Amino acid sequence: MEFNFREIIRYFPTLLLGIKMTLFISLVSGVFATIIGIFIALMRISKNKFLHYLAILYIEFIRGTPLMVQLLFMYFGIGLLINMSAMFAGILGLSIFSAAYIAEIIRAGIEAIPKGQIDAANSLAMNYFQIMRYIIMPQAIRITLPPVCSQFITLIKDSSLVSILAISELTYISRKIVTRNMCPFEIYAAVGFIYLFLTTTLSYFIRRLERRLKRVVSS
Amino acid sequence: MLVVKVRNLNKSFGDLKVLDGFNLDVSKGEVLVIIGPSGSGKSTFLRCLNGLEITNSGSIEIMGIQVTGSRNRKHNLLKLRQHIGMVFQQFNLYPHLTVLQNVTLSPHIVMKRPIEKIQKEALSILSRVGLGDKIDVYPDTLSGGEAQRVAIARVMAMKPEIIMFDEPTSALDPEMISEVLNVMKKLAEEGTTMICVTHEMNFAKEVADRIIFIDDGKIVEENVPKLFFSSSKKERTKLFLSKILNS
Repeated sequence: MEFNFREIIRYFPTLLLGIKMTLFISLVSGVFATIIGIFIALMRISKNKFLHYLAILYIEFIRGTPLMVQLLFMYFGIGLLINMSAMFAGILGLSIFSAAYIAEIIRAGIEAIPKGQIDAANSLAMNYFQIMRYIIMPQAIRITLPPVCSQFITLIKDSSLVSILAISELTYISRKIVTRNMCPFEIYAAVGFIYLFLTTTLSYFIRRLERRLKRVVSS
Repeated sequence: MLVVKVRNLNKSFGDLKVLDGFNLDVSKGEVLVIIGPSGSGKSTFLRCLNGLEITNSGSIEIMGIQVTGSRNRKHNLLKLRQHIGMVFQQFNLYPHLTVLQNVTLSPHIVMKRPIEKIQKEALSILSRVGLGDKIDVYPDTLSGGEAQRVAIARVMAMKPEIIMFDEPTSALDPEMISEVLNVMKKLAEEGTTMICVTHEMNFAKEVADRIIFIDDGKIVEENVPKLFFSSSKKERTKLFLSKILNS
């Protein structure tokens, strides 16, 4: 067997469209997952028993079932009740999935803040929202930003699963190309390297961010 | 004029009774020192006064505001805490804010006063506690003594009528204790009502108007400093004093 490099070059413009779509889906899902994750984390640490257990249920359910099943359920199951596009279902599914992991990271970050901080803020007459906004969140963000960003790396890889909803992101497009040119070895190798390139680039920036945060916190 | 009225206060953690039928009055301008062995309920008592701990029964009234058993507890607490400040053993400065921001945050967001005015006041308070040159640094570059003085300045900026001190010098290296005690003495001279939990007996002798000794969640004995140290009546008080004064 010979490695047919020309096939990769030939289809690279097509793959590029897939890369764009993969980045778009990951970015939008990342933003929504972070927002949902913050709310779930706040519910998880809430003294309100109902909210607390609802958050635990959410986290356990999402982490205990395969993303593939969640995506199929979202599009074909819930899609029966509410009319939604594959793209919408895919992004929603990914956001809900990632949010469970991000919620746990944020919860750990909040719980890492010494209780004395809350005592001090309380004794200085701040209310719940002021304590969250001015004391807890700024400190929690510094602790959780690096692990949340790592979660984004996982999100980029997981976004390949929305290909089963026929969304033309990188993985779906590569399958289409392979059915046409019959060069699975070259194309899938190239796609693998593209994902590797995306994730290592992101992790490079995370490491830089980590170093900067360390400086800020210890200065 | 009474600023603190505590009646028959009870507080338990599970089966452990921490405060057992506590009664106490504090007058305006009084400096009250609370001493007692560790685990006797001193810190818990302070934390009940500003609602950091929820009490089981009894009543606390501070500056005419009901702390306990009120339907408007949350609202009352926010109002109350503007009148009663607290200095903690571990300082509890906000590590992500500068010294100046630590001091100005609550007056700005809680009392909603204009920031320029607050900053000016904060600067004068910080220079009064000897930290005028540290306003832009972050807490982790401060020594323990400096950090505790910032914590006191942070409370002073709220202009509370009462300040509580929970073992403010216990986490400090010996050479830094006096710089914090000096700030506290100045506050006492200015007529601030103070409730101090401390093991600094010299401070108690010099500054306190009244000393109370508590053990097992009860007030064992109380007196003015002179009589307290020279002629305590109860065996438990004598034992505690002999231990702490000879150590």
